[in-house]
Amino acid sequence: MFLELKNITKTFGKTVANDNISFGLNKGEILALIGENGAGKSTISKILYGLNKPDSGEIFLDGKKLKIHSVLDAIDHGIGMVQQHFMLFESYTVAENIVYGKEPKKNGFFDRKRAAEIVRELGDEYGLHIDPDLKVEDCSVGMRQRIEILKVLYQNADIIIFDEPTAVLVPQEIEELLKTIKDLAKRGKSIIIITHKLQEVMDVADRTVVLRQGKFVGERLISETDIKELSYLMVGRGIPPREVEKKEPGKLVLDVEDLRYKHEGVSILNGLSINVHEGEIVGIAGVSGNGQTELIQCLTGLLKPDSGKVELCGEDISGKSVREIRDLGCAHIPEDRYEFGCARKADLEETSIMGYEHLPEFSSKGLLNEKHNQEFALNLLDKYSVKYDHMGEPAGALSGGNIQKLIVAREIEHNSKFLIAAEPTRGVDIGAQEFIHDRLMDKRNRGDGVLLISSELSEVMSLSDRIYVIYDGQIRGEFTRAEADTNKVGFLMMGGQNGQD
Amino acid sequence: MNMLAVILNSTIRSTTPILLAALGSAICSQVGVFNIALEGQILIGCFVSIVANYFTGNVYLAVLCGMLGGAAVASIVAILQVKYKAADMVIGTSVNLLTSGLTSVLLSTIFGVRGSFSSPELISLPKIKLPVISEIPVVSRLFEQLTFIDYLSYIIAILMFVYLYKTVSGFHTQSVGKNIEAADSLGIKTLRTQIIAVLVSGALCGLGGSVLSMGQVTLFTEDMSAGRGYMAMASASMGQAHPLFVIASSLFFGICQSAGVLLQNYVPSQLTQAIPYAATVIALSIFGWRAIRKKNA
Repeated sequence: MFLELKNITKTFGKTVANDNISFGLNKGEILALIGENGAGKSTISKILYGLNKPDSGEIFLDGKKLKIHSVLDAIDHGIGMVQQHFMLFESYTVAENIVYGKEPKKNGFFDRKRAAEIVRELGDEYGLHIDPDLKVEDCSVGMRQRIEILKVLYQNADIIIFDEPTAVLVPQEIEELLKTIKDLAKRGKSIIIITHKLQEVMDVADRTVVLRQGKFVGERLISETDIKELSYLMVGRGIPPREVEKKEPGKLVLDVEDLRYKHEGVSILNGLSINVHEGEIVGIAGVSGNGQTELIQCLTGLLKPDSGKVELCGEDISGKSVREIRDLGCAHIPEDRYEFGCARKADLEETSIMGYEHLPEFSSKGLLNEKHNQEFALNLLDKYSVKYDHMGEPAGALSGGNIQKLIVAREIEHNSKFLIAAEPTRGVDIGAQEFIHDRLMDKRNRGDGVLLISSELSEVMSLSDRIYVIYDGQIRGEFTRAEADTNKVGFLMMGGQNGQD
Repeated sequence: MNMLAVILNSTIRSTTPILLAALGSAICSQVGVFNIALEGQILIGCFVSIVANYFTGNVYLAVLCGMLGGAAVASIVAILQVKYKAADMVIGTSVNLLTSGLTSVLLSTIFGVRGSFSSPELISLPKIKLPVISEIPVVSRLFEQLTFIDYLSYIIAILMFVYLYKTVSGFHTQSVGKNIEAADSLGIKTLRTQIIAVLVSGALCGLGGSVLSMGQVTLFTEDMSAGRGYMAMASASMGQAHPLFVIASSLFFGICQSAGVLLQNYVPSQLTQAIPYAATVIALSIFGWRAIRKKNA
């Protein structure tokens, strides 16, 4: 073993994030560290990279015991990490970002020219080409990741940790990244990739270590395992493949035609048309930032579109207020749970009825029906198995996955004709994801319309009866469940043109 | 011609304290600290300089004490606002009110006077006579009555520019303001960088205070900083916290001040005194509006 972790334990308050974890890494090997959210993958990688200090346990490199107190120590020992949230300086150039911390100098001054040369040479060496003089703020997500990889390579890392590297990428970019990772391993770099996407593990890794609830549950050679076994190890139970109940779509619930919206002179929605029927989940696939947010906000009344028709259950809702639209039957799981989904300081009971508190069920004559509301909230928390301490707890104290479950519960259980589900499973673990997906399916099966907007293509693909691909504020293509495949959809997501377009 | 030289000379003299404080504000915003306590830092510089001047009789020692005084007040900001993350508005405003009250109280306890203190024993900053230039008729008026601090302030600005934009250490310092998390993750001691920047701003404001109370005049008046700390914030923001641009924006505020003084002979002084402040509001509005447009473009 090249790198060895022995009996690593780390606790945060009462939670044991890593419980006596041991595993090793060989030279030139790609090791996938897999597990659900909260399994402790990130914690252990942060320990390795010097961002967290373990309570106990030891790390050995080439048989020598390592003391990693800070990121600088880790870098000194040749350990680098491509973090999930890129650590880049927007207004600095690509080259400045890459050489940061080990800058070339000339007469004591920062030699920016040399820095650009270095980056160019490094890019040529590893086939990761990028213009060194570009400002990071002008770089796409894929490019930013390339900058992070180059940064790690520039620091001369032998061990590279990738933390959920594909979470932010579109399919084509993912393919390219996986190729890069394999290439790096061939050149002798040892790689740890943290992920919960099992297909990628199968595609790229040599070996995998599975964590569950902070504990080591097993390791497998990829050549000797399959997705089914890995998902069983990860979740602790089998996940049956989803069975989609056949359902004929009913009447039109949402009808959007030629929706246009400009912000400060920049066109964001360029004549977008979609529709959703009863008993149908319609997915919108797209790289975030292509007008999804504005589309949601136009539908929910948070933004006023410049032109276009928006009809909900046959009624024109353009110009109506958020509350009027909600009361007409539009529930909304917002993409940002903290900005729109809840108030961090409101307690769980308040969070459970928020947005519906004016309805006779929850209040009369301006006073809240405390008793009923409490029961209602308890029922939601119970039904959606939200983990919480007590009812008076502020929503912000729940973990991300749990608050998401509560918001989903509130919006689904309020039986509206139409639901907008934007990134409904962002940051929740596989178990909860399955649960939320099942509830969305239930809602469809009850005959309601669901508009699913997600940057997670696999989510859109597995749930939707119909898929629209959004690019640059327009629908670039429409697929039925049977027609859709990752390549075709991914191509359009990247701005590719369809034959007929 | 002569008149113009006089105006320019008065502009240079009124620019100095604003420029020094604006550089202090700029270094703070470069590391992502919103320091509102500049006003208090200047005022304490004015006061401590006069006290030190009176008791030691050494004007250079007085300048040094003024800078230390500024840094001392800045340390309150450094500890409460930077280290313990208290709200910037609250800390800044409290520090400004505190120094205003403190200097008034100390004025009466140390010197036994109210309102203002002046004494023949106080030594003013020596005026520099440039060797060749002072022989040229009109140009000499331009550089009249300037102290070493007036010249020093421009040198500081240039040095600060070289440091921030040409050295590796300055590159790291700037990065703290751009993305503190990233800087942290790359092993920069971000807290220390921010604290040092705030202390430097204190020293620069203190230096500005010294030239205010010992340059043109040699006295201390209650609240004699008269909003220069806020003008400096406006100036730093106009100059986008870039030391060389800050020279230009500070000169603009200097012009407004000297214009205010000049016009006093023709227009009621209450009105002319408002000129620099009105300029602050207008400049900030225009600048803010342009920044918003740029952001949305």
